[in-house]
Amino acid sequence: MAVSRTRNIGLPLISLLRLNGMPILEQLHLEERLLRSTSENWCLINNGTTDPTIVMGVSGKPVELLDTESVLRDEISVIRRYTGGGTVIVDHATIFVTFICNKDAISGLQSYPQPIMCWSSLLYKEVFQGIGDFTLRENDYVLGNRKFGGNAQSITKNRWVHHTSFLWDYEISRMGYLKLPKRAPQYRQARDHLEFICRMKDYIARSDFIDRTISAVGSHFQLRYSEPKAIQWPRGTKFEPSSRLLRKEELDEAICKSSAVSALLSL
Amino acid sequence: MADLPVGGVIDVPLAQTGEGIAECELLKWFVQEGEEVEEFQPLCEVQSDKATIEITSRYKGKVSKVLHVPGNIVKVGEALLRMVIDENASILPSVEAAQDLVAQDSKINELDIADSVLKKEKIRGVLSTPAVRNFAKQLGVTIEDVLGTGHDGRILREDILNYAARKGILKASSEILIEDSSAKNFLGDQTSPNVSSAYVWEFEDRSLPLRGFHRAMAKSMTLAAKIPHFQYVEEVNCDALLDLRASFQNEMSDLGIKFTFLPLLVKSLSMALSKYPLLNSCFNEESQEVLLKGSHNIGIAMATAHGLVVPNIKKVQSLSIVEITKELSRLQELALSNKLSSDDVSGGTITISNIGSIGGKFGSPLVNVPEVSIIALGRIQKIPLFDEDGNLCPASIMMINISSDHRVLDGATVARFCNEWKRFIEKPELLMLQMR
Repeated sequence: MAVSRTRNIGLPLISLLRLNGMPILEQLHLEERLLRSTSENWCLINNGTTDPTIVMGVSGKPVELLDTESVLRDEISVIRRYTGGGTVIVDHATIFVTFICNKDAISGLQSYPQPIMCWSSLLYKEVFQGIGDFTLRENDYVLGNRKFGGNAQSITKNRWVHHTSFLWDYEISRMGYLKLPKRAPQYRQARDHLEFICRMKDYIARSDFIDRTISAVGSHFQLRYSEPKAIQWPRGTKFEPSSRLLRKEELDEAICKSSAVSALLSL
Repeated sequence: MADLPVGGVIDVPLAQTGEGIAECELLKWFVQEGEEVEEFQPLCEVQSDKATIEITSRYKGKVSKVLHVPGNIVKVGEALLRMVIDENASILPSVEAAQDLVAQDSKINELDIADSVLKKEKIRGVLSTPAVRNFAKQLGVTIEDVLGTGHDGRILREDILNYAARKGILKASSEILIEDSSAKNFLGDQTSPNVSSAYVWEFEDRSLPLRGFHRAMAKSMTLAAKIPHFQYVEEVNCDALLDLRASFQNEMSDLGIKFTFLPLLVKSLSMALSKYPLLNSCFNEESQEVLLKGSHNIGIAMATAHGLVVPNIKKVQSLSIVEITKELSRLQELALSNKLSSDDVSGGTITISNIGSIGGKFGSPLVNVPEVSIIALGRIQKIPLFDEDGNLCPASIMMINISSDHRVLDGATVARFCNEWKRFIEKPELLMLQMR
């Protein structure tokens, strides 16, 4: 979609990667590699992922966050990602948008969680202009008072990444794999999960959301379209991604440990 | 923050991360006990509510004791590690102040969103930007003594000037003022005041941070420099081209379009590319693959007041010369007013740089990554040539330089391609044979 509007001098360059159905683990590996091995600014948009997958934050503990028995029974993959934040379950109806930027890419923006969150909300405000009552509420993207996008970040010495999984649509049964987290935002007000979230498809067409996001990115950056095959990785650097799939034994172990603790306490 | 005890041991605390939370989880250490550490070196990674954050060192020194292990929950303000500070270490006010500021920002409400994103620094109760603080330093003004008249009591540049004038500092430092304000104008700073000054010689260096197109150019040229280029130079007789342009201008004056050489060159280039598609490709280094592009999206390098920009005309093979002329005109107008869309400047497959319109016999351009070829056109010059009968006659000659990626193209291919293109330029009637 062509964007024609006045540009200010000094807009930073960003490379846009438009992906379709890339497996979420592959996306996380790509993101982390772009964060740590390149010095360009990137925007990734992944339109859905393949199989339903649970993605936990970097220090997420399965036994606290998941109904591990049903996760194991139904053989749902669980990933521990390289960024902080909470737990989500993603599938073909999730849209991912990621920004990877240099610390000084955006004039005046300090690379701390809150300023980055605020900046991102300005961008998404443009996306939802005239569509819905979009706001940033305690680090969540909400329409009205219902969450439709969860965010996480990683801030390194010279760069930062801010990524979001947007609930285009979701299956109610899958939400059952996630437990109520220990720390919930105040605005949730003890609502049940399904009363707390909403579907983006009730507000905007899928392709419209992606187009409007690209357009909004284009008003903050000079866009350059790229593709994963065209990325020039620096030579001679070995990269080990941090995001990984948890093994069954790790989820099993979580069950064993928690049962053992319960057994001890009952003695 | 405490004064820096030179050569002594200090506790390095976990600073506020700006989310208004009281604690973080320590994820991993990047340093160990006994290790020498530089300023800004990453020390460890912590996790707050939503983010993993690398904590960097404010000091140069040596890690004497690590106080937490990964997995520990560390309270904000609690010491993470102990360090022995170097004799020459100095605390950086901007880092410290930024962290103090972030603590403030954690209480912002939604109305203050734009405000929280602005870069402010607060040192010992004073609000001002780094530029204003530097300016005060240059004038020898103690910023804490200045009364701020900006929003929230912010100290503005004018406040520094007024204070300096009152204290008699301003007169002695007029030279610095002049240089500073001229440098700021050059960098596009909006706060530079209208300072009247006597004429002085300027011998000082001026720093020009790269922005916008210029910065993008620096980045893409750094990439292009890694490519092994070779140059192919040829002369093209443009007599027929000049006649054709004149004919178009006379016969088609009612269209209201100004005909130049470029659309003719672009169309004939596309015809030649149909026969030599390797020049219309891009190279993937990682997979060692050449992708032959289906569309001829011919980029035209343009020099604008904002810098070098290369918009491209899409699918030239399907456009008439009139359509190319109109599209070129549209792109030129947008480029001059800095209104090109991202679509206009992306997806190019080959580039023409008409550097001759400014001057020069020929150029040696760098390929516009990820393309594999770029063509520089020199100025058309009238020079004497011998014709077939040995008579001297004037000819309009243009030098062209085709600069190519030697990993994809060889001299023979480029030479044959150039011969084909040259044929179309020198005998444009041949275009009619190929046109659909």
